Amino acid sequence: MAIVGGASTDWGVRPATWTELAQEVGEALFRAVPALRGEDVDSLFLGAAMPERFAFQSHVAPLAAEQMGLRPTRLLQRTELACASGQSAIRSAYAAIASGLSDVAVAVGVEKMNLPSIPEANTAMACVLDRAWDGPGGITAPSFFAMVAQRHMLEHGTTPEQLAAVSEKNHRFANSNPHAQFYRKTFSREKLLGLPVVAPPLRVGDCASMTDGAAAVVLVADELVRRYPGPVAWVRGTSQYSDFHNLANAGSLTEWPGLKHTAREALRQARVEVGDLDLAELHDCFTISEIVEYESIGLCDPGEGGRWAADGASELGGALPVNTRGGLLGCGHPLGATGISQALEVYEQFASKVPSSRQVPDPTWALVHNLSGSANVHSVMVYERGEAA
Amino acid sequence: MSAPGPRRPRPRLEVPASAPRSRPDEAAAAGLPFLLDFLPREGEAETRLARFFARLREGRLSTSRCPRDGTLSWPPRTVCPRCHQGELSWVDLPETGRLYAFSAVLAGAPLGMEADVPFSVGLVDLDGVPLRIFGRVVGRPWSELHVGDAVAVEPYVTDDGRAFYRFRTPPGARAHAAPATPC
Repeated sequence: MAIVGGASTDWGVRPATWTELAQEVGEALFRAVPALRGEDVDSLFLGAAMPERFAFQSHVAPLAAEQMGLRPTRLLQRTELACASGQSAIRSAYAAIASGLSDVAVAVGVEKMNLPSIPEANTAMACVLDRAWDGPGGITAPSFFAMVAQRHMLEHGTTPEQLAAVSEKNHRFANSNPHAQFYRKTFSREKLLGLPVVAPPLRVGDCASMTDGAAAVVLVADELVRRYPGPVAWVRGTSQYSDFHNLANAGSLTEWPGLKHTAREALRQARVEVGDLDLAELHDCFTISEIVEYESIGLCDPGEGGRWAADGASELGGALPVNTRGGLLGCGHPLGATGISQALEVYEQFASKVPSSRQVPDPTWALVHNLSGSANVHSVMVYERGEAA
Repeated sequence: MSAPGPRRPRPRLEVPASAPRSRPDEAAAAGLPFLLDFLPREGEAETRLARFFARLREGRLSTSRCPRDGTLSWPPRTVCPRCHQGELSWVDLPETGRLYAFSAVLAGAPLGMEADVPFSVGLVDLDGVPLRIFGRVVGRPWSELHVGDAVAVEPYVTDDGRAFYRFRTPPGARAHAAPATPC
């Protein structure tokens, strides 16, 4: 099956509610995919990490369907996997189509994260981790990934300048993405290194933001792909790995064997090697995450991720362009929508629908990765460019 | 793996006489709605791990151990994750450990912790057992902490009478030489 199109709302601190974002992405989807008819959509999968906290609303899948003007008849459900909720929606759509239950499925992600009470929003985010045992000490996502960065610096000599290189790259790419939270905002490495510290050694520019936004893609069964003109993104591999939840069971902070395993498995399914990839969307919730991901996926040797980034290997024209969309750092990170937006970037790269300043020349293979929580779960999908007709 | 050896007696923690203990409305006592409160349920009527909290009140950090296969778990459990049986025993954990990693929350603190900012957090390798557990680190400020620093396990009672644990750095003492971290 293949992704045949998709759309995104603008992301950022939006003067819009959760339900309004769902309406907005529905409008954008039907505009972007003219061949899509509402009555053809038999299934809807909604990536939404914590609407109970951020929008005080449960039972959100039918709400999203109503807002988008859809009436699913086969499978309607919400997928929740924290930061990977969006990719979970796509993987569920994939499973539904692969089983024969669904022919045309929409995977949509909606998240409203900016609340009047910032500490309440921080509390919601902290509950992604082990609330009862790691929560009382005051764990936050930045302080956890700060410890990853500290260990990486200690073990491998990674520097704040190398972290800033990742952030500068992704913010620069976001300048080609009008939907991005940090569209038309420039961040030099010097500026990034002068921003306030959130959790040492991580500064503001090392951390993805709290973001309101939505995105949607359409997945269709093989025999229906020809109804949608233009290039498509075939799903060729999908894999996942979960190995702990409480931080006590994390093992090494700087090696993510779960990602190594799941990337290898998804590539094996697609029958390609990491060297065959033309672009990758990697989960840069923090600068250090992208660095450890380079290493875990096998783009560079363990410990070399910081140098790999600073040397430009993940730039357009480098060994493998990473996060041409702008990443979580540049686009923001509306939890349930992020994985959908990453897949949309792959589709739009394949279909040459992105601005030339971030277009990868003739891409054929792409990998998308999401981590969730404390990098305790890794989800990976591999796509191949194809023609519908 | 074996349980830690005999322990020296430790004074019981001072608990305010008026403090509510393990009542369903304990979160409300902390001034937070129940669903925005981090601390685990600790009363006999609420959790099968009530003994953990009772031991914390005696100044002892403990956890569960499976007598069948020896698995020592953190956090404490009611069923062994390896052999899946539910007859576990309690063991006391060491009172000391070393910082494996740490950071500090300088911004973005959850509700109820805003007044604590800046505060330090860390992962601590407990001495003599294969457990690395997370917690608040009190004592020296974060800028004076180093990976490898010795810390003491410190059970404590919150203002509203609930028990938890944290780590405390001995003032000025660095028992272990470790390379300084860049932060």
